[in-house]
This record gives sequence, structure tokens and C-alpha cells, in this order.
Amino acid sequence: MENENIADKKFQKEINSGTAALVLLSTLNNSLDQMYGYQIAKQLEEGTDEIPMIKQGALYPVLRSLESSGLLKSLVEPSVSGPPRKYYEITDNGKETLVRWSDIWEQTKMFVDSILEGGKND
Amino acid sequence: MINSIDQYLDSLKTELKGCDSATIQDALSDAEEHLRTAIEKGLEESDKVVEADILSNVIEKYGSPDEIANAYRDIEDRIKPAFARNQVSSNKSVLSRFFGIFADAGAWGSLIYMIFALVTGIIYFTWAVTGISIGMSMIILIIGIPIIILFLYSVRGLSFIEGRIVEALLGERMPRRARFTDKNVKLWDRIKELFTDRSTWSGILYLVLQLPLGIIYFSLMITLIATSIASIFAPIMYLIWDIPIIQTGNMEYYLPNWLLPLMTIAGFLLLTITMHIAKFIGKIHGKYAKALLVSE
Repeated sequence: MENENIADKKFQKEINSGTAALVLLSTLNNSLDQMYGYQIAKQLEEGTDEIPMIKQGALYPVLRSLESSGLLKSLVEPSVSGPPRKYYEITDNGKETLVRWSDIWEQTKMFVDSILEGGKND
Repeated sequence: MINSIDQYLDSLKTELKGCDSATIQDALSDAEEHLRTAIEKGLEESDKVVEADILSNVIEKYGSPDEIANAYRDIEDRIKPAFARNQVSSNKSVLSRFFGIFADAGAWGSLIYMIFALVTGIIYFTWAVTGISIGMSMIILIIGIPIIILFLYSVRGLSFIEGRIVEALLGERMPRRARFTDKNVKLWDRIKELFTDRSTWSGILYLVLQLPLGIIYFSLMITLIATSIASIFAPIMYLIWDIPIIQTGNMEYYLPNWLLPLMTIAGFLLLTITMHIAKFIGKIHGKYAKALLVSE
């Protein structure tokens, strides 16, 4: 049981390493305003009834990596209470990338689904 | 069991041991921003008043320190500073590596940094010396103490700005966010932290040393560049406008014609070597800046 749990976690993590970037790009693309990390995490949490697949804390390094690739840009602003917040916004480059990545995602999804369903029918 | 944000941050710091110090600082400020915001919102929404009650739930969602540490570790390799040097592939010949320096963004970045260092050096030095001397001399009256405290905060700010410049131009990974002070910590403890933090004092040292270093960098680069360019173009000037190679007072010096092309070549070689020197010094300066400006 313990081993299964570890294997499941590892599999989930491997999937997340690609999808998290796509999800974050898409979230920021749909948002009219700049968003900071907690807002994004909250929105992802509200969007689904399931247990979130990725830990909120693991979103931040992905945000940073997207920023350093030029797909996002950020702005640090002081908040009324507590630490300053880092607001993220999608760049034009990010928007173009999102379109391409969505296509890749569609193709991957169709491919994986077709294989999984094909397996069932046998 | 984690009972406070500070405990979480300490534990995250322990998990991140061995990572780049700038990554650690980023991870800690991300975590602190998130946890504080989450708890603040949690306190607003529920009628619970105790932070610790909400905290375990918040951390459950955010991820345990070891999970988060792994997430940063995984992604650390993918985050490269703007001018991070590309690894020179070993299959290139020595010659193309030598002259390829002109296509190396890192070398140009270092060159710009070294020339620019005189300007920032003057500003930093003036600020540091003025701050220290006004603060110290006013300490006889009580107002010296607040002046010193404000000055030390300004050193932090300047250290952060210099860190950004160093990362952009020298490619050395530096903290991407300024540190902030926690509102819950008492004023007295914050001030104590300011005085006991090593990077405050090494930061002052850096600001003061930036002037002599800036002067050295600036003179070295300007001299080398001027000499190279002069060597490259002097023969051409001579051939076209008959301007002597060297002119002092009434004396005019000329080179024999066969030496002229060699002089141009030597100038070009010197320019290439200058770029290598700039890159080398830039690399060392980046390490040195990180050692003095980033707190462990």
C-alpha cells in the first residue's frame, strides 16, 4: 500500500511538471487583472471539487520559471498588511505559447485517451 | 508539528540546504508571502482567532517543507539568469573560442558593468561614508541612533539594487526580491536583527569598496579599449590622412610600412583579450558580490 502511494505520487508529479505550466498560463490569460500567487492558488482550488493535484507551494517555482522564460512578467507591490506581493501577468509571447501548448495538450489528451479506451475494448 | 510560519520557514530553509542561496531566499519569500496571505484571509473568513488553528490546514494545502524544497530543486536548473553564460561546447576549436568572445553576451555584460561601476561606486561610496559619519557623529545626541538605523535599512535597499544589476549584467544569480520585515515582530527585535545580520555590515563594506574597485575597473577597461582601438585605426589614419602614429610636441613618429598591418592585428588581438579579461573579472566580481550582499 505504501509503495503504491509513493508510485502514485511520483506519477502525479511527473504529469504535473508539464501541466502546471499550462494551467498557470491559461489562468493568467483568462484573468483580466494581474494576480499574485495566493489568488491563483485560490482560483485553482475553487475551480475544482476534486482534491487539487498540485500543492499550492509547488506553483511558485513554476511561476518563476515561466517568468524567466519570458512567458510571464511580474511586479512586486507592497501590501497593506504583511509582506509585499508579487503580481504576475501574461506576456504576448506567453499568449502565443499558450495557443501552441493548448494544441499539444489536445493532441496528447486524444492520443492517451484513445490508447486507454482501446485497451478497455480488447 | 509546525506551529508557526517562522517554524515552517526554518524547516524549509533546512530542507533547501545545498541549493543556491538566491533560490533559498526566493523560496522563503514565496512561502512567507503565501502563508501570511492565506492566514490573513483565513482569519477574515472564519471566526477562529488563533493563527495556529488555521496554519495546519494552510500548510496542508501549500505542501510540506520537503515537498516544496523538492519543487524548487527541480526547477532551479531551468531558471537561468539573463546573461548566464552558455557552456562553451568543447568541440569548438581554441581559435573560435578565443574570438567567439565577441558573440558572448556575458562578456559584453561584464564590460558594461565594469565601466558603469565607476558611477555606481561613486554613489555607493558617498552614501555609505555620509551615512556612517553623520550617524556616528550624531550619536552623541540621541538623533544619531535613528539616523544609523535608517542608514542601515538603506544599505539593504542598495544591496538589493546592486544585486539586480549584478545578476542582469554579470549573470550571477542574486535574490530577486527584497527582504521584508515581518509586522508581527516587535520593533526592537527587528532593529536587533538589522544589527546582528552579517549582510548589513558586509553590505556597507561592499558599498565602500565599490569606489576603488570601480576606479580600477573603469581605468583598466577604458585604457585597454582605447589602446586597442588606437592600434587598430592608427595605421589606417596614417595611410589615408597621413596622420603620424604618435605625435608629441613637434616630434612625429612613423612606423615602417610593413609594421602597419601588424599593428592593426595587434590592436584587434588586444581588444579580444580585453573582452576575455572583462568576462573573467565579471565572473569573480559576481561571486564576490554574492558573498558580501546575500545573507546566508
